[in-house]
Amino acid sequence: MFLQPDKKGSLYNTLVEFGYAEYGSALEMLAAAKMAESPRLKVGYINHALDEYRHSKLIFEVLNNEVKRNKDTFKNEFKFIPQHVVSKGYVDKKNFLVEKLKLKNFVEFVYTNEFLAKDSFDTLIKRIGNADSLKILKQIASEEEGHADYSILTLNKIMAEEDRHWGFAKLFYNKKFPNSNLNVAFKKEKIKNKLRLFYFKNVLFLNKIFDPIINVLILVFGKIPLLLKTNSSLSKNLMNDKTNSII
Amino acid sequence: MKYFLGISGYFHDSSIALLDSDGNLIDFKKEEYLSRVKGDKSFPRLALQEMIKNFNLCEDNIEQVTFYEKPFKAWLNILKYSIKNNSLKNELTRNYFKNIWKSSIVFSYDLSKYLKVSNKKILYCDHHLSHTLSGAFYNVNAPITSIVIDGFGDESTSSIHHIKSLKEINNVWSSPFPHSIGLFYSSITDYLGFSVNEGEYKVMGLAAYGQPKYYDAISKTIFFKDGKLIIDDKYYDYCRSIKRSYSEKLKELFDIKERESNQPLDIESPDFKEYADIASSAQKIVENILKEIFLYANKITGESRFIFSGGVAMNSVAINQLTKLDFIKEIIIPPSPGDSGAAIGAAYYGYLNKNGFKKNLKTENNNILTPGFIKNKTTDEDFFLTSYVKVANKENLIEMAAELIAENQVIATCYQNIETGPRALGHRSMICSAHSIAAVESLNQKIKKRSKFRPVAPVTLTENANKYFLLSDKIYQSYFHMGAVAEVLNSKTIEAVVHKDNTSRVQLCDESQILGKILMKLKKHNIDVLANTSFNISSDPMVYSLEDAYLAVERMNIKYLLTENGIYKKKDE
Repeated sequence: MFLQPDKKGSLYNTLVEFGYAEYGSALEMLAAAKMAESPRLKVGYINHALDEYRHSKLIFEVLNNEVKRNKDTFKNEFKFIPQHVVSKGYVDKKNFLVEKLKLKNFVEFVYTNEFLAKDSFDTLIKRIGNADSLKILKQIASEEEGHADYSILTLNKIMAEEDRHWGFAKLFYNKKFPNSNLNVAFKKEKIKNKLRLFYFKNVLFLNKIFDPIINVLILVFGKIPLLLKTNSSLSKNLMNDKTNSII
Repeated sequence: MKYFLGISGYFHDSSIALLDSDGNLIDFKKEEYLSRVKGDKSFPRLALQEMIKNFNLCEDNIEQVTFYEKPFKAWLNILKYSIKNNSLKNELTRNYFKNIWKSSIVFSYDLSKYLKVSNKKILYCDHHLSHTLSGAFYNVNAPITSIVIDGFGDESTSSIHHIKSLKEINNVWSSPFPHSIGLFYSSITDYLGFSVNEGEYKVMGLAAYGQPKYYDAISKTIFFKDGKLIIDDKYYDYCRSIKRSYSEKLKELFDIKERESNQPLDIESPDFKEYADIASSAQKIVENILKEIFLYANKITGESRFIFSGGVAMNSVAINQLTKLDFIKEIIIPPSPGDSGAAIGAAYYGYLNKNGFKKNLKTENNNILTPGFIKNKTTDEDFFLTSYVKVANKENLIEMAAELIAENQVIATCYQNIETGPRALGHRSMICSAHSIAAVESLNQKIKKRSKFRPVAPVTLTENANKYFLLSDKIYQSYFHMGAVAEVLNSKTIEAVVHKDNTSRVQLCDESQILGKILMKLKKHNIDVLANTSFNISSDPMVYSLEDAYLAVERMNIKYLLTENGIYKKKDE
C-alpha cells in the first residue's frame, strides 16, 4: 500500500504516514509469504517484508531526526503505535491483499505500487532537501550536520531498495504474465493514491465540518443515555445473570 | 465433539479460546499472533478463521459462543460518566458517540461475517466475571476470593468476587470509573513517555532505580479509604481526553516535565534518576493500595486464598509485596491474567452455563501452552534451508542446544505450541546462559535492544531454585506458568539476571519441558540457570509461525534457531 507525499502539508505528518504505509506493506508481504507454497517464493516475500519493516523503522528515525534538527516538540501522534496501521487503513481489517486479490492482481498491485513508491520517495527526498537546504548548509559545520545528512542518506538508501523491489516485481510479473497490459492497473493505483492523499489532506477539514453537526446531535440526543439504566451487578450472584443480555 | 468459544476484543489484545465438551482448553489464539499487529484489538477474525478451519467449527458443533463483556453496558457506563462530568461537546464524549460502530456493540454482527450461529448460542459474560473465571478455570477449590483489577470493564475498574462454588460467585465490592488503579498506572506510563498498554512493564523495571520521593504527593490523588478507591480526576485526563492520560495538574507535582517518547532513556541518560523516582513512587502507590484491597477482601469474605487477575495482576513486583502479608495463604494468578486471557474465562462461562454450573474440570489437562498449534503446509521448514544450515536434527537438538549455550551462544526457539500467556516459557524464547554477563548483555541489549534498566528473567529447574532464589509458597504455581518475582539469595554467578533491587523474575521448569531438558544436559557444564526473554522485536507480537521466526531471526541477527525438528544456523556465519 502506498502513499503519495503531500507536497505542502506538514513534513512530519507525511513522514508518519510513510512510516505506517511501509509497515503496512511489511505485514502484507509477510501474509503473502505465509500463503506461498514454494520455498523460494516464500523467502522472496519474507525478504521483501524485511526491507519494508526496516524502511518503516528508518522513516520514523528520519522523523525523529527532523524534529530534533528543527528543535520542535515530538508530539504524541509522531509516536509509532502498531495498532495505528489498522486504524489508519494501511492494513484492511477484513482481508490482507493476498487473501482478497487473485494472484495476477496481487502481483500487479505489488509491481505498480513499487513503481509509485520510487516516485514518492523521490518527491520526499527533494522536499527535505529543498525545504531545509539553507539550514543544512548553515549547520553543515555544526554538530547537526550528521543529522541533516542522515535524513537524506537514509531516504536515498530506502529508495534504492524500493528500486530493487520494483525491479524484482517487474521481472516476476513479466515472467508470470507476459502478455498483460499494465496501463489500467497503473491508472487505478494512481487514482487510489490520489484519493488517499486527498482524504489525509482533508481529514482535519472534514472534522471541522462534521464535528459541529455531531455536537448538535449530541446536544439533542446526548441526554438519552442518562435515562438508560444498566443492571448493577453489585451484591449479586454473577452466575444468575442474564446470559444473553448485552446490558 | 461439541465446542465452546470464548472471545475478547475491541479494547486491546483480542483473543479466542476454544474448549471441548469435557471443558479442556484445546486452542487459544491472540489476534496479534496472526495479524502481526501488537496488541491488535480488532475483532479476532484471523484467529477465528484459523480455528474454523482446524476444527471444522460450524453451527452444528458449537454449543456456545461467549463474549467476554456486556457490550452495551461497557459503552454506556463510560458515556454516562462523560456526559455527567464533562461537557456534552467534550472530546471523549464526542469520541464515544462517533465510534460506536467500532465498539464491541457490533460483536454479533462481526461474528456473523465469519461464523453463522443462532443468537440463542451467543452469551455475554460480565467483564470481571470473565477474568475471575479465567483464574477459576485453573483452580476451582472454592471457597476462594477473586480480586480483579484492570483499567475498566463493563461497570467497574476493580472488583472483589466471593466464589462460594461455581454456582455462586458473589460480587461483593467494586469500584466505578474513573477510580482505576490500571488507568492510574497507565497515566504514569504515558507521563514517562512509554506507550500505554505496552510500556507498563518498563515502568515496573524502572521503579527499582528510583526513590519514591513523590509518594506523598501522588497519594493525595489516589488512595483507598473506608472501602472505597478514590482518584482525584483533576490530575488525570483519561476521563476527559483521548490524547493523553495525565493532566496539567499532575505535571505540577513533579520536578521534571513529561518525557518526550523520542528521547532515549537509559541508566546513563541525564534525567534517568528523576523519571525513575516517578516510576518508583507510582509503583509504591500501587503496592500499598493493592495491600489495602486484599486486606479489605479478607475482611469482607473471610478468605485467605485469592485468585488475582486483570491487567494489574501482571505487576509481578507488587505481587511479591503481597506475598509478605501474613493473612494471605495463597495467590493464584492465571497464566494470562489480562483481557486476552479473559477469553478463556468467557469460554468457561459458556461451558458452565451449558452444564448447569455443576461440572468440575480436570484442570491438570489444561496446559499453559496453547494446545492447538496445528501443522499445515505453510509450516514446512524447507524454506529455512535457503539461508540456514541444519546443525542438529530432532534426535540431538537438546544436546546441541546445551552445547551452544555452554559456548555462550544465544538461541531463539520456535518450538511446538505457543504459550497462552504474555511470558515466553521456552517455546517462543531467546535463551542463553545466565552465568555469562557477556551472553546476557548480548541477548538483552544487542539482539533484543532493550534498555539496560529492564531485567532479563532467569529460568531454572525446580531442584536448583532454592540455591539461588527465595521462593514464596504462596505463589508457587506462578513460577511455572508466568514467572514471578523472588528475592535473590545468591547472586554471585548470576548477576546478569538480578535486578537492581536484588530480585529476579523467576521461572521454574521441570524435566518434561524443553528448557528443563536443556538444563539437565547443562549440568555437566555447571550451568544451572538460563536467561530467558520472549522471542519478538520490541513493538512486534511474539513470534508465532515459522515464517515469523525466520523474519525475526533475520531482523535481530540471531545465529541459531531451534524448532521441534532441529537447530538451524545462519549460512553466512
